[in-house]
Order: sequence, then C-alpha cells, then structure tokens
Amino acid sequence: MKQAHCIYQNDEHRWLAIARDASKPGYLIDTNEYLVMDGEQALLCDPGGIEIFPAVFSALSAECDPTKLAGIFASHQDPDIISSLALWLEFKPDLKCYTSWLWQSFLPHFGGSESTFVPIPDPGMTIRLGSLELQAIPAHYLHSSGNHHLYDPKAKILFSGDVGAALLPPDQGGLYVEDFSRHIRHAEGFHKRWMGSDRAKRDWCERVSRLEIDMMVPQHGAIYQGPDVQRFINWFAALEVGVLRG
Amino acid sequence: MNAPEKLKKPPRSASELTCIVRVNEEIKSIVATAFRINLMALNAIFLAKRAGNAALGFGVLSNELRRFAQDLTHHMASLRDMTSGSVGSVTGVVQQQRNSAILLQAIRLSGDGVPGVREARKRGAQRLAEQHGRLRALDLRLRAAVEETQQLVELGGVLARSAKIEAAYGGGFSPALMQVSTDFAEVIAQIKRSLEVLGKERLVKD
Repeated sequence: MKQAHCIYQNDEHRWLAIARDASKPGYLIDTNEYLVMDGEQALLCDPGGIEIFPAVFSALSAECDPTKLAGIFASHQDPDIISSLALWLEFKPDLKCYTSWLWQSFLPHFGGSESTFVPIPDPGMTIRLGSLELQAIPAHYLHSSGNHHLYDPKAKILFSGDVGAALLPPDQGGLYVEDFSRHIRHAEGFHKRWMGSDRAKRDWCERVSRLEIDMMVPQHGAIYQGPDVQRFINWFAALEVGVLRG
Repeated sequence: MNAPEKLKKPPRSASELTCIVRVNEEIKSIVATAFRINLMALNAIFLAKRAGNAALGFGVLSNELRRFAQDLTHHMASLRDMTSGSVGSVTGVVQQQRNSAILLQAIRLSGDGVPGVREARKRGAQRLAEQHGRLRALDLRLRAAVEETQQLVELGGVLARSAKIEAAYGGGFSPALMQVSTDFAEVIAQIKRSLEVLGKERLVKD
C-alpha cells in the first residue's frame, strides 16, 4: 500500500512523496505522487491513474486534510499522470488543474469542465499556493510535446515528471537514490527511448542548471538529492536520446 | 492495489447498455421491414391497376398500406432518436457508478473520518439519482411510443386482412393478389413480434 513520506518540512511548508505501491497489480507502472502544502492549501503533482486513486487518496488523507487540496499539477497528458482527474473532482468539484495549454481540450476527456483547467503557457508560469510562488518550468518534448516541471524555490525541490524516472527492480525500493551509478542503469533505457529530442534535452539541462536544486523528484523511481542532482543533469546532457536501442 | 470489488462484476448499467443495443437492433429490423412493406405496396398498386375494376378495393388498401409503411418509418425514427439520447444517459450512469465505487474504495481505505468524504458521497449519490431519474423518464417515453406504434401496427394488420378479402374478388388476378396480401400479413406479424420484444425491454431495471 502506498504511503506518504515527508521529504521536506519548514513550518507549514511541506512536500510529501506518495511512493511505492507494492500491492498494485504488476501490469500497472509504479508512480510517485507529490503533495506540496503551505498553510491551508495543497497542490498535488501528477495524481496518477484511475486504478491507483484509492491508494493515493488514502495515503494523502493519512497525512493531510484532503479538503485543503486546491489544485492539481499535471506535467503532461498521459493516463498514469492524470486519468484519475474525474475522481479527484468527484471529491472536490472546484479543484483547479494546471497543465500545458496544449492539453486543455484533451484532458476534459478524463473529466472536468472549462473552469477546471488553468492553461500553462509554453514559457511556464507562476503558480501561487499559500505564500509560495511555485514555478512551472518548460520541459517540452521531455517526453510530451506540452510538458512542464514544477520548481519550488523555497524548498529547492524540482518535480521533474518523467525526467529522472527509473524503472527499478523490486529489491531497489528505497525512496532516495543511494548509489547513483547503480541507479542510473535503470534510468538509461527509459530516457533513451522516451526523451525524443536532443535539443529539448540540452535546453532543459541548461535551464535547470541555473536553478538551486536540493532535490529532484521524478514521477517514477527514486529521488535524487544533493550532488546526485547535478550528476543526473550531467549524465542526461551527455546521453543520446530519441533512439530505440544502443 | 486491486480494482475495487464492485468493478469486477459488470455494473447494472452495462446490462442497460446491452438493452439499448437490443432495442436499436429491433428498431433497425422494423425499419427494414417497413421499407419492404413500402415496396410491396408499390408493387401491389401496379398489380391492382393491371387488374382494373376487379381490384379497385385492393388498390385503395395498397395505397393505405404504403402510407402505413411511411408512418411506421417515422415512428421508428423517433424511437431511434430516443434510444440515441438514452446512450448518453446510460453512459453518465456508468461513469457515475464507476467513480462512486472507486471513491467508496478510497474512503474505506482512509476511514470515514476524513473531512469532505461524506459530502462527496452525498453529491455522487445525488448525481446518480438525477441520472437514473432522467433514464426512467426516457424509459417511460420509449414505452409510450412503443404502445403508440403497436396501435398503428394493429391498423396495418386490419388493412392486410382487408386486402386478403379484396384479393378474393380479383378475378383472374386473384391468386397473385392473394399472394401479395398474404405477404403483407406475414411481415406485419413479424413487426408485431418485434414490437412485443421492444415493449418488454426496460432501460431501467426496477
């Protein structure tokens, strides 16, 4: 069963990682959901698919009041990211969903109405949550054509969606990357296949290198902290992407 | 985590969707038969013209049967519009039932004490009741329309029987006219059977 782990706390400003669901069916890819909270408001990053909604809702409710959920940030349009939207809206009909403008007319197929969606322009935007000013950072073509990551300058955490994702074997279920060289082997194939543009990758590496990042939290796999963040960026910058094999 | 228990069984609305499919198939079959009656009536009109004075009554009845076929086609078109509308309502019920079942599973895992869950369940139940209400109203309209069509087909049956009587006075054309009127009676009996099936279908199970 999924559990919420606090990965950052400064008074009422918290980041929770809802990760590792050993009891989910094997045919579903494992996903991480992240909850950013500040005071009376919370934002859920990539809430996941329909099938895992009960597990995510339950883990979230164990740590916070779910009525405080003000919004959802969807890095892109994939079903493992946002197909549970209708269920979150079932619980809280006035939720706002922040996502790339590109998906504004596609995501309502999962649920929601015109008033649900807050389109994020291509260059990104600021998302206010309590006293926080979260930054939607462009990550287009990594892998989706309309893709954003979420940066919290106060916590120095970058939610990086599919970038940094690793398909880990069951015996490597730790929340954080412990041995970068060992870990990155499980990320290589994924990044080569899923990240389609070398130019987009270089742009992203330059963009995030300018940010102060203590933790990079991906949607699949383990969390990069401290020097592993820059290690990952360097590794990614050098990686040949958009290839089937090799 | 496993899919919620309720989702493993096909929801009741799935059988309601199957019911709509069956209704549509019956409607399609009646429309095809009505088209056949229309053609048969046209042929019968020509045959009666060839038979001359001996088949004047048969000609009038054939004209009436043709009009009946056209009326039947209009009735079936409005029935089809109703079932198209009901697909939307049933889909709404299916989605709401699925969402409510998953939300219930989430609430069971989290415990009833979680703020907001009672209100969410209440809203879901209210939406489901509204959707069921719409479907029930549609079901009533559909049944009333089927009954109205059954009355029309009764008239068709009377026309076919009268055509059979008129055929007996058709002189040398009598065997041909008799054959045509027997065909009319058979297809109208077929439509009656289809309407009986339609009359038994329910979009909403009590």
